[in-house]
Amino acid sequence: MLGRAGSRTNPEEQATLEERLHQVALGDRQAFDAVYEQLAGPVLGVARRVLRDPAQAEEVAQEVLIEIWRTASRFDPERGSARAWALTMAHARAVDRVRSVDASARREARAAELMVESPFDQVVEAVEARLDRERVRRCLEGLTELQRQSVTLAYYGGYTYSQVAHLLSSPLGTVKTRLRDGLARLRDCLGVGG
Amino acid sequence: MDPEVHSLTGAYVCHALEPAEREAFERHLAQCPVCVQEVAELQETAALLASAAAETPPARLKAAVDARIAVTRQIPPIIAGAGAGDTAAARPRRRWFTALGWGLAAGLAVVVAVLGVRLNDQQNQIDQANQRSTAITTLLSAPDVHANSVSVTTGGNGRVLVSRSRDEAAITVSGLTKLPPGRAYQLWMMGPSGARSGGLVPVGSEAYDSVLAHGLGDAQTIGLTVEPSGGSAQPTTTPVMVLPMPA
Repeated sequence: MLGRAGSRTNPEEQATLEERLHQVALGDRQAFDAVYEQLAGPVLGVARRVLRDPAQAEEVAQEVLIEIWRTASRFDPERGSARAWALTMAHARAVDRVRSVDASARREARAAELMVESPFDQVVEAVEARLDRERVRRCLEGLTELQRQSVTLAYYGGYTYSQVAHLLSSPLGTVKTRLRDGLARLRDCLGVGG
Repeated sequence: MDPEVHSLTGAYVCHALEPAEREAFERHLAQCPVCVQEVAELQETAALLASAAAETPPARLKAAVDARIAVTRQIPPIIAGAGAGDTAAARPRRRWFTALGWGLAAGLAVVVAVLGVRLNDQQNQIDQANQRSTAITTLLSAPDVHANSVSVTTGGNGRVLVSRSRDEAAITVSGLTKLPPGRAYQLWMMGPSGARSGGLVPVGSEAYDSVLAHGLGDAQTIGLTVEPSGGSAQPTTTPVMVLPMPA
């Protein structure tokens, strides 16, 4: 897609992530540093959440951050925020890694662990991340148990919805629906604009 | 169409579909604007789940990334009308290009890099380009670089820098008159073999920042027309700008 920057009057002031990404598409290394600053934490975090293994998570985070540099020109602001673009890519990569490498034995072993563990056990220093974490925790608490487990297992656990259904001993259709209405309820709770 | 497929938005966003289901869902997405909207919203939501998991990255990650991007070439954007996903959109376009007989070598497929440089005059143009775009800098340093500019008949200006030896042109339009909803400006590269799309000027934007076109072929002029907001395969209205590219 074609980018635009016509509405920007002063690119040095308060540049949004979208504007930064547009500059990255022009080969601007400083803009990339700013993008890295904002995205490396969540990219690494989501990879680690899905993969568990710190070394693999770091490899995936590295790949994704390079991919952000490489494909910045393909970001289309009409289709969503830069943050969602990057983190969708990060989550997809992490899940791909899980599915390609993973022996099912290891997955099964992890399942029990995941069920009891709070998804918020990591130390996060950034204030912004802490606020996000608080909001997300509050909103996850507002879901039904089955919604929360479905979303948590699928998103943070990197399981397919059939695997989630198996783990939760629930019908496929139910899990599918819970994933959708669970995320929709989170969306409303988090105030994600449409 | 399986009505069930519509309810897969949540699983899709969580990357929780098997590959075959994912493909089926993406085919469905291509014809379901409501689903596209829902997926976009749920992706924003999922991004907050990712943010909530943020960890402080070790310094070695930055060092590794910096080392790699120093030797990683960035890919140019895809030109042509407002499309869907990258691969989904790229494939039909490539066929479409071929159908038009562009005959371009793979890898030199017609692509445009958005350079985002707002250009006001020739000197400013050169200054900003030097600062912000190595691509334009390279173009400007070509021995045979030529510049041209014309007014857009309905308001605004178009400018082009072209180097035939590099087979590249940088095109800028600015100050365009706002269009009614459902219409968009579309750029064209025009030559004896016909007109090829140079991409849409995004809706609501008044300035179209510099675009670098590779593979000029026999194009002699840059055209600008008003088209339906999705873009057209060929111009359907009289150009509001005809900007000759110096030979």
